[in-house]
Amino acid sequence: MDMAVKTPSSPMQKVMDGLRAWARINSPWVIHYNSGSCNGCDIEILATLTPRYDLERFGVKLQGSPRHADVLIATGPVTRQSRERLLRIYEQMPDPKFVVAVGSCGLSGGVFHGCYNIVGSIDEVLPVSAYIPGCPPRPEAIIQGVVALLQSLKPQ
Amino acid sequence: MNLPLPSIILLLFFPGGLFLIASGLVYQWADRKLVARFQNRIGPRWFQPLADVFKLLAKEEIVPTGAIKGLFHGLPIVALASALTAALYVPLAGFNASYSFQGDLIVVFYLLSVLTICIGLAGANNISRFSIIGATRTLTQIFSYEAPFLLALLGPAIAAGSWSISKINIYAQENVWLILAQPIGFVVALIGLMGKLELPPFDAPEAETEIVAGALTEYSGRGLALFRIGKDVELVIGLTLISALYLGGLANPLDFLWKTVVLLLVTAGLQALFARLRIDQTVGMWWRVGALLGLLQLLAIILGRLIGPLF
Repeated sequence: MDMAVKTPSSPMQKVMDGLRAWARINSPWVIHYNSGSCNGCDIEILATLTPRYDLERFGVKLQGSPRHADVLIATGPVTRQSRERLLRIYEQMPDPKFVVAVGSCGLSGGVFHGCYNIVGSIDEVLPVSAYIPGCPPRPEAIIQGVVALLQSLKPQ
Repeated sequence: MNLPLPSIILLLFFPGGLFLIASGLVYQWADRKLVARFQNRIGPRWFQPLADVFKLLAKEEIVPTGAIKGLFHGLPIVALASALTAALYVPLAGFNASYSFQGDLIVVFYLLSVLTICIGLAGANNISRFSIIGATRTLTQIFSYEAPFLLALLGPAIAAGSWSISKINIYAQENVWLILAQPIGFVVALIGLMGKLELPPFDAPEAETEIVAGALTEYSGRGLALFRIGKDVELVIGLTLISALYLGGLANPLDFLWKTVVLLLVTAGLQALFARLRIDQTVGMWWRVGALLGLLQLLAIILGRLIGPLF
């Protein structure tokens, strides 16, 4: 990840970096893209966003526009058809941005592994920051994965 | 209460500038928390709007191809500046308005509209189809609620016999609450404020299920942060304005706090109650119902002023 600070560290710089990291950890806006999944993971992601789990208490908001999003939640194996779209959505997101791969198919291709119309797993197309296994993963697992990603952003 | 402060502090710290932005963020949090509680959720933490703003300010800002660069960067600044300027003429936090003159009610009204027009222009500045549809809807909506909203603000001005918000505020403190004398005007003004802020059910211009994020689809980073702060500031000013005009004026900070919070409670309840209206339904409602109600209120006030002295 290109999150490491390379500038010389003055006290002011340290405060600003701390503030930036704090804001980033506490306000992850997500966008969701299905690049060829069977829809099972997507149902679980939508369940995660319902009032029962209420992710707004962690500052998570589902955004429609990639320009507003910080975290791309991608599900499913990447098909040859959707590879370009997935890349395009990723490129439209402003830095700093992260990708979370959800579900077995996103991790390895799953049951679609080796299929003629599949490029492969999501990390063959995009740099993935967090992997959430499961077929499909439970909402709790998705929350844990996103929280683990956010914890890794904390300055050491 | 009067504020014996030099004008630079009035502009930058209190009641303009920093205080206004901070209170805007607090009111945004209160609004989101209330809606969340109405929906049986827990809701965001108290620092959520602050974290959102810091994060957006630290993010990369992408200028899309096809957009005019100067306008793209300039519009958010103009929008926030006009919203902050409007605060100087309203009795913010219960203190007397920093400046006042005859007609500042109209000036504030137009300064608040500049934000909406800037959002519309920002959408039209892009070649993205979602931005353009959002801009069209934003500008359609401004043409529908603006007239009834102005009619609703006219009522207290006619009752007080003055175009200055400060004088209306004093009149409202000395007389019976105008919400009792002009209930229709109050309802139109409150719903007009919700239309102005594009809160549900009037959020067709930024309907995320249809047109991604409306006029602000292409904005990321600083521009989006400034527009969001501008909207929060407008929420505070709008609540202040309506409570000064209709809820018996704002005499002190405590008065300001409880009256605006009660108004916020009502608007949050309405947001949670109603589903989004289509843009044609919004326009139809404002012109068929809102404008007529506003005119009816105006007619009642004029008749009252003609007949009143006879008794």
